Amino acid sequence: MTAMVPLIVCLPLLGAAAALMLGRRRRLQVLVSVLSLAAATVMSAVLLVLVDRTGPAVVQVGGWEAPWGIVLVVDRLSAIMLLISALMLLGVLLFAVGQGVVDGDTETPVSIFHPTYLVLAAGLFNAFVAGDLFSMYVGFEMLLSASYVLLTLGGTGARIRVGITYIVVSLVSSLLFLSAIALIYGATGTVTLALIAERMPDLPADIQLILGLLLLIAFGVKAAVFPMSFWLPDSYPTAPAPVTAVFAGLLTKVGIYAILRTQTLFFPDNQFSMPLMIVAGLTLLVGILGALAQADIKRLLSFTLVSHIGYMLFGIAIGTPLAIAATIFYVVHHIVVQTTLFLAAGLIDRVGGTTSLSRLGGLLGSSPLVAILFFLGALNLGGIPPFSGFLGKIALFQAGTIVGDPIIYVLIGVGALTSLLTLYALARAWNMAFWRPKQQIKDYTASMSASLVEDPQDEGIVLKKTISPLMIGATTSMLVLALGLTVFAGPIFELTTRAAGNISSPSTYIDAVFPSGTGAIENSNVGTNFEGGAK
Amino acid sequence: MSASLTLVIVMAVMYAAGVYVMLERSLTRVLIGFLLVGNATNLLIFIMSGRPGSSPIVTGTSVEDMVDPIPQVLMLTAIVINFGITALLLALIYRSWWLAQLGDEGDTLTDEHATESADEADTTFLSSSDDDDAIAESLDEFERGDGATSDEDTVSNKKDAASRAAASASDRGDAR
Amino acid sequence: MVPFLLAFVVLSVLTPWLTRHLGRRVFYLIALLPAGTFAYTVTQTATVTTGGAVTQSIPWIPQLGISLSFRVDTLAWLLALVVTGIGALVLVYCARYFTDDEPNLGRFAALLLAFAGTMYGLVTADDLVIMFMFWEITSVLSYLLIGHYTHKRESRGAALQALIVTTFGGLVMLVGVVMISVASGTTSLAYIVANPVTTQMGTWAILLILVGALSKSALVPFHFWLPAAMAAPTPVSAYLHAAAMVKAGIYIVARLAPGYADSDGWLPVLVTLGVWTMVVGAWRALRQYDLKLLLAYGTVSQLGFLMIAIGFNTRDTALAGAALLLAHALYKATLFLVVGVIDHRAGTRDWRKLSAVGRSAPALAVIALVAVASMAGLPPLFGFVAKEAVFTSLLDAGVGGSGWGYVALIGTAVGSVLTVAYSIRFFWGAFGTRKQQPATVLHASPWDTLLAPGVLTVATIGLGLFASVLDPLLTPYADTVPGAGSLTEAPYHLALWHGLEPALYLSAVVLLLGVLMFRARRGVLRLQAKVPDYIDAGRGYGKAIRGVDRLAARVTHFAQRGGLPQYLGTILTVFVLALGFAAFVNRTWPDTIVWWDYPGQVLIALIMAICAVMAARVGQRMTAVILAGVTGYGLVALFAFHGAPDLALTQALVESITLVIFVLVLRRLPANIAQHNKPVRPKRRLLIGSLVGLVMGTIGFIALGARDFASIAGALPRLSVEDGHGDNIVNVMLVDIRAWDTMGEVSVLIVVATGVASLLFVSGRNAVVPRLKESRSLRSAANRRRVVADPELSSEGHAVTRQAFILAGRKNDPRSRSILIEVLVRLLFHPAMIVSIYLLFAGHNLPGGGFAGGLLAGLALVARYLAGGRYELSEAAPIDPGKLLGLGVILAVGMAVVSLFFDGVPLESAYFTATVPVLGDLSFGTSTIFDIGVYLVVVGLTYDILRSLGSEIDRQSENDEIGPRPDTAPEGASTTPEEVTR
Repeated sequence: MTAMVPLIVCLPLLGAAAALMLGRRRRLQVLVSVLSLAAATVMSAVLLVLVDRTGPAVVQVGGWEAPWGIVLVVDRLSAIMLLISALMLLGVLLFAVGQGVVDGDTETPVSIFHPTYLVLAAGLFNAFVAGDLFSMYVGFEMLLSASYVLLTLGGTGARIRVGITYIVVSLVSSLLFLSAIALIYGATGTVTLALIAERMPDLPADIQLILGLLLLIAFGVKAAVFPMSFWLPDSYPTAPAPVTAVFAGLLTKVGIYAILRTQTLFFPDNQFSMPLMIVAGLTLLVGILGALAQADIKRLLSFTLVSHIGYMLFGIAIGTPLAIAATIFYVVHHIVVQTTLFLAAGLIDRVGGTTSLSRLGGLLGSSPLVAILFFLGALNLGGIPPFSGFLGKIALFQAGTIVGDPIIYVLIGVGALTSLLTLYALARAWNMAFWRPKQQIKDYTASMSASLVEDPQDEGIVLKKTISPLMIGATTSMLVLALGLTVFAGPIFELTTRAAGNISSPSTYIDAVFPSGTGAIENSNVGTNFEGGAK
Repeated sequence: MSASLTLVIVMAVMYAAGVYVMLERSLTRVLIGFLLVGNATNLLIFIMSGRPGSSPIVTGTSVEDMVDPIPQVLMLTAIVINFGITALLLALIYRSWWLAQLGDEGDTLTDEHATESADEADTTFLSSSDDDDAIAESLDEFERGDGATSDEDTVSNKKDAASRAAASASDRGDAR
Repeated sequence: MVPFLLAFVVLSVLTPWLTRHLGRRVFYLIALLPAGTFAYTVTQTATVTTGGAVTQSIPWIPQLGISLSFRVDTLAWLLALVVTGIGALVLVYCARYFTDDEPNLGRFAALLLAFAGTMYGLVTADDLVIMFMFWEITSVLSYLLIGHYTHKRESRGAALQALIVTTFGGLVMLVGVVMISVASGTTSLAYIVANPVTTQMGTWAILLILVGALSKSALVPFHFWLPAAMAAPTPVSAYLHAAAMVKAGIYIVARLAPGYADSDGWLPVLVTLGVWTMVVGAWRALRQYDLKLLLAYGTVSQLGFLMIAIGFNTRDTALAGAALLLAHALYKATLFLVVGVIDHRAGTRDWRKLSAVGRSAPALAVIALVAVASMAGLPPLFGFVAKEAVFTSLLDAGVGGSGWGYVALIGTAVGSVLTVAYSIRFFWGAFGTRKQQPATVLHASPWDTLLAPGVLTVATIGLGLFASVLDPLLTPYADTVPGAGSLTEAPYHLALWHGLEPALYLSAVVLLLGVLMFRARRGVLRLQAKVPDYIDAGRGYGKAIRGVDRLAARVTHFAQRGGLPQYLGTILTVFVLALGFAAFVNRTWPDTIVWWDYPGQVLIALIMAICAVMAARVGQRMTAVILAGVTGYGLVALFAFHGAPDLALTQALVESITLVIFVLVLRRLPANIAQHNKPVRPKRRLLIGSLVGLVMGTIGFIALGARDFASIAGALPRLSVEDGHGDNIVNVMLVDIRAWDTMGEVSVLIVVATGVASLLFVSGRNAVVPRLKESRSLRSAANRRRVVADPELSSEGHAVTRQAFILAGRKNDPRSRSILIEVLVRLLFHPAMIVSIYLLFAGHNLPGGGFAGGLLAGLALVARYLAGGRYELSEAAPIDPGKLLGLGVILAVGMAVVSLFFDGVPLESAYFTATVPVLGDLSFGTSTIFDIGVYLVVVGLTYDILRSLGSEIDRQSENDEIGPRPDTAPEGASTTPEEVTR
């Protein structure tokens, strides 16, 4: 069983290597990518079942004991994140393949897209299984560097511009993360999560404050927490549809995962509850106001993405096991729904020729299938019952109400208001893009209708942008998955509750990594003079 | 544990200089800022290995005064990653300059698309509030009593209607 | 109940498909389902009337206490009958209302059916959360149904408005729902009502839930969405906006009343808003010319009436309220359906354009007359019975000492006067004869058009006549309301005739005044024109929405305006504020301070600091790069003096290669960094920069002093030598102990290589590296000595050496060649490669390793390229860099995977030791293979970078793909003037 943990990371990497070696043999590259992600999906599913039954899977890489070697730890939370991201990655990959089949790979050149995409996957998986702070950093760097390349695919002016914004912001957050690692090593003398967790409570509260805040800021940038979120809506929407979808679904959630992991593990007393509450509320509100001011579906969705990060922060800030369970559920829900919606936006782009609301119209009549995909996704995102978005929200509210602080009630109010405004933004988009007949579009001219099926950028060649069944199939499967989250909310909630139970007490995690205690570590320094303990 | 204050100060200076250039709009400057901040961060990790000592190679030297090797390992990884990212950024700079030669904006950053999209949003959402106005009109239509020949009620409330029309016009004006 | 709900789901999904085959006849088919549900509900009558309840429960989300539990008691039974019965009738009506070629008929039918199912679920759900789910679904379905005519602006607008208003209420209610279920520890409605939460939390929760009820049932101030919703097709208005959905709010109030009618705020809110709504709605109904709008405002008014009755806290009002609810559903649905017929047949709903409709459609007129009379409260109709009951029970409540009873009584009486007036006005308007208008001719309709309104009318009459039969069916609900009906008399019972009691006189007065008011309609209209407009909630909604839009635009513009510098500035400001605060409050400082480790350190640091500051200030690109490079070389020195030879070596190599790449790229860019960038708030940047430096330095200093624990590094020398078989701890860690991270790092490098290629070649990474045409044959041994004449160059008289030492030399412009350098480089190339391989293998025990070796090999390639140009590069490394990268990763990752099969743990090394001449003792293990992988990746990366940033840029500039060479271009040509500087 433990062998699967490193394999989940290694397989996509081997796939990437194979894709590189295969050079220009497209079909083989596609096959390799799909197979390696499919394998990763299956393995993470098996892993989830096993971990859920028998407790955390701990792998000491290379047989080197922690804290000297690197440990990979898969507890329920990690396993859930692994499975859901593997599913998303696979689905989006199929969508991209479908798009590539139709377009002849102009948007997503196979030889660049596939290896990079696989490294992105490996990086994500690595970040989720890491039991070592620096490994987590490396995982982040893997997925970020891959995201830099994916975001600038094609190298058009717009993509380069937003790419630079995205890259530089990410770099700053990475450097902050690295500084945090340096300081944590400085203060605790280790980078193994479990050992940090053991040593952190013994540090003076002053130092804990510094380390905790630094980690929060580093991860906050990645998770797009207000006010460090402004970069996101500028960056994501410009990339090709599948890339945006996977970014939106997964990348910010890695930040959330990291916050969740480090907060519960290092700071079990929930010291950062109050600042988290405040930024959660502001993230919710400012994000959703941003969505209201957008005329482009992709940008609109990006802002809702930022906004809803606030719900997850809210859950982390409450910090009770029920709240954590609700947060995990919400994370899973949000990953699936945002990915689906961005893929649906990609479909809208293709059937409507644009994602700008000022030029879209009449899509309900012309492409009812896309309409259903978008509508159900939008309801889900808006937290309308009976969809999973609602269930996650009500679970958060319930967890908050049980605690019942005044600020929590304010947050619940903000959360409800955000839900309403999300619905407003999406329903308005629906009104315009799907209901409004094309004739009512301002400055609507007949010539525009031609451009709806032709690519205006394509010099001379009239290229009809069609939708391949694979694209529809991938998007539909995601939606079905999202609906599955609703139908099977009971068992899933049980699972996330168990996962929350795991991480609510750091000792579970520490004991898993150091089954025989940490005493031996303290005694291992005999005969050396590495500074420390001197104070 | 302690370390030399000199190193801490030079690290701080490099951070300061790096951040200062990073906040500019020229990509080359941003990259230089990244190099400085990256080096500063490496220095920070390095500082965490404590006072100098002999190199962490077991042969020959005594283990007694060896430096802590872990920060070195972390730094090596960070250095190489930073190198890769630098190369990528250079390629981006070149690409962006190449586009500039073709008439794009070059290696500086602009944000005019932000205002563009704000304008577009404004015009788009007027359309939405037009829908609201349409409701108001459809509701008012009969109350105003225009266009119909009634056997009574000619008094109607014309004044009322006029004032409403004015109000709704000013509303629209505001929204724009 | 669950099977029926499932059937609704399934049939709704199938309906669009069925419609394609059946056309409008599909309505007959799908009407069977609500009819069946109606019949099923009728079978529950016996259980329900004895005070029992039919329940069913399926667990769903136990953690949140949510289960699919349903419970049919008297109230649910009544509502279930209403929604399914009227639902079935409306669906039947639709079959005639629409034609086969009606666009989107399938969608409409499916939505309407789904709505019927949802309403059924709403009224039967026992779980509060489940009830809320159905509640919100009705909002969404209503949105889709109101917007059915998608091409009409007002349809779309009204749909959105209804959605927003009802969802607003719904979300407020949700908070209340959560609060009450947390407070009472269960989500079961039956339990929550039976065991009321009397804490302050419970009071707040109930008030929040009331907001939801008010918005759903269109009470002031939320009432405006209902008239707007009349943009929907008439069957929708009849069903959703008269009989079913708007009753949801009434239902939840009725549901909670037995437990919470006495809680703080309940009565004042409901009575005040109820009276206000009743009067305002009726007042506005009085001036409508559109028959449907008249009914809509009438509905608003009646909903206020209902809310008062059902929300009042006595047993008798509850009974009266339940009766009124039923009565209203019956006559209001009928009237809407009648208007639908008129609208369809006459083509208008404006009664000023209608004349003598009554004469051409007498049956319709009779049906309408009965319904109108019931609405006005005329005996012997059911409306009369209900209204009598309300008046009596309110009067009793007032007599019983409740001030609110009198308020409610007077309010409802005034409202009823207006109701009578607009009822007459409706009938007179719809069916009366106008002299100026030609008689409207309605074509005969098929009999079943009148089926639905007809059945409802029969019910109105029947229930009126046999009200006392209905009474025992409803009393079980009324009896749950604890408030005493009256102090003196026996409990009230529904009946047509109660004798000459006060309510009867009141009814008579109301009727009389109503008729008078109709007679004086001109005067009333004049009065209406004079009365200033009350606060117009609809317009208020518009203002609020636009206000939110404007706010959104402003906030967003403010947040997003600055682009990257602002985003970075914000992030760093957060950093400075948060950590500055943390550092400020910190009390744990290191107790020993060392100024420097050795004097030389100060010198190096000084140089580094000066260079860093200068790098930030200079205008020339190259100078800035070199200055930044100096700080890097400064690090090399620091590392070297500090006992970090591996770091020093790697940093030196990295710094050198970085410089070269910089040169490669910057040669094409203007020499100066565009100067117009200067004014971007230098002071603020300086401030942020210095603060970041200061804070980072401080917290670094603090963290360093905080160490209370031994570093884990203590065990490493032993581990490294004994288990890792290497003396160089750093290298052993890189390739063995922490090889997992190195593997990740290697994968970053392959991505970077791919990315660089992507940015330069754009369409893929497979662009062919330019090679000499003959190079392949040239390399093979047989042709080694053949003189290859290059026709392109031989014409220029360039000497072709017999043995092409610098293989690609002839491709270079002879004027820019330096034979000396070329030869030197060529001579040094192979030794450099050998040294790099030495570094690779020696690294395990001495400074070196895969990174250093790979970087050195990369530098060698760089030298070849610099000396000989791009053809030389491809000759030096005649292999696809993608293959190098791929192979490297396969080796590195492969080691991890392969070892899995041996002992189940990845990256565990197997060793054998050999003595190799020159290198000495070498332990060769799987970790060495790993290091080879690293080496290959680094070489591949360097090669890819050279190929892209070197060769490709060469090619682009040679082919003049882009403008003039930058050295001849005017300053600043690369950048457009900075317009956006603030």
